[in-house]
Amino acid sequence: MAANVLEEGISKKELQPEASPPDIKAMAEQFLATFYQAFDSDRTTLGQLFRPESKLTFEGETYTGPEKILLKYISLPFKQVVHEISTYDSHLTIDGTLLIVVVGRLKTDDNPPLSFTETFNLKQFGDGLFVMNDIFRLSLHNS
Amino acid sequence: MAAQQEPVATFKLVLIGDGCTGKTAFITRFLTGKFEKNYRATLGVEIHQLVFQTNKGPIQFNVWDTAGLEKFGGLRDGYYILEQRAMAGIIMFDVTSRATYKNVPNWHRDLIRVCEDIPIVLCGNKVDIEDRKVKAKTVTWHRKKNNLEYCDISVKCNHNLEKPFLLLARKLANDPNLEFVEMPAFEPPEVQMDPTLAAKYEAELKQREEAACSDNDDDSDD
Repeated sequence: MAANVLEEGISKKELQPEASPPDIKAMAEQFLATFYQAFDSDRTTLGQLFRPESKLTFEGETYTGPEKILLKYISLPFKQVVHEISTYDSHLTIDGTLLIVVVGRLKTDDNPPLSFTETFNLKQFGDGLFVMNDIFRLSLHNS
Repeated sequence: MAAQQEPVATFKLVLIGDGCTGKTAFITRFLTGKFEKNYRATLGVEIHQLVFQTNKGPIQFNVWDTAGLEKFGGLRDGYYILEQRAMAGIIMFDVTSRATYKNVPNWHRDLIRVCEDIPIVLCGNKVDIEDRKVKAKTVTWHRKKNNLEYCDISVKCNHNLEKPFLLLARKLANDPNLEFVEMPAFEPPEVQMDPTLAAKYEAELKQREEAACSDNDDDSDD
């Protein structure tokens, strides 16, 4: 099969992409809007999105629990920040959590824009959706 | 002005220090040289090419200014060595914020770990502000280090902006008599530096340097 694909190409019909379930997409979109709006306007409100087991890895440094995660976020020394989502994708995982990968740009203070990628894993508790995993990196290619 | 000569030497200079100490404001006040703003998004760096006219001919500094990367954590090693190994450094802190001065040794350590023997100038910015927290006479940390000098600056007042480049050029040319034959052009100052305050700081610095010369035979220079 694979060899044939290489030789003969593949028709659109054989590899039809699946539509992403609309409720999943809507949930992801709503979460991202909430998260980045809180981040950009008042970082002190971010703590409520995390639970004691939640983990943040920010530029390679890991923190667990809402207090530490919040402390990390409010300790970032820029005065102003604006996140702009360029694109994102989401999956419902086998464990029933919502996985989101974001590619975006951000601008701090008077600095030029920087690319970043951020991954979230969200889990429902009661009525609320909480961030269980949050992994952030600037997209730099300087090593 | 006469036609620009090609620079006789070009040096990569890294401009580092805590976020919000005025690094970008500092470098964008210079109107000299080619002034080609050059933003490399994949590196998160803006490179400013500044040319200074000296009595040894024109020299060019390619100044690497971060796009705020230091606000997210340390700079990666590539910043110091990519394209060209840094040959000079400016470490900036804010004299109204002790925390930014306390971080100076960390910046210095990161820099010399990858660029061992390069000349570095430590700049205390915002000396125009009355409520100064880090006094010139308390900036003593650099005295025990080789290849490290200090200068007070005020970006807002255009105070001493060319001085770090002059100190570095002298070290790089190995010529203590090197001078700028033309003052670089700056954006106009936002406020005027109080001349009495400037004179007071100069006197304090001089006094301290003299004291340092007489009492520190333990400072090895090489």
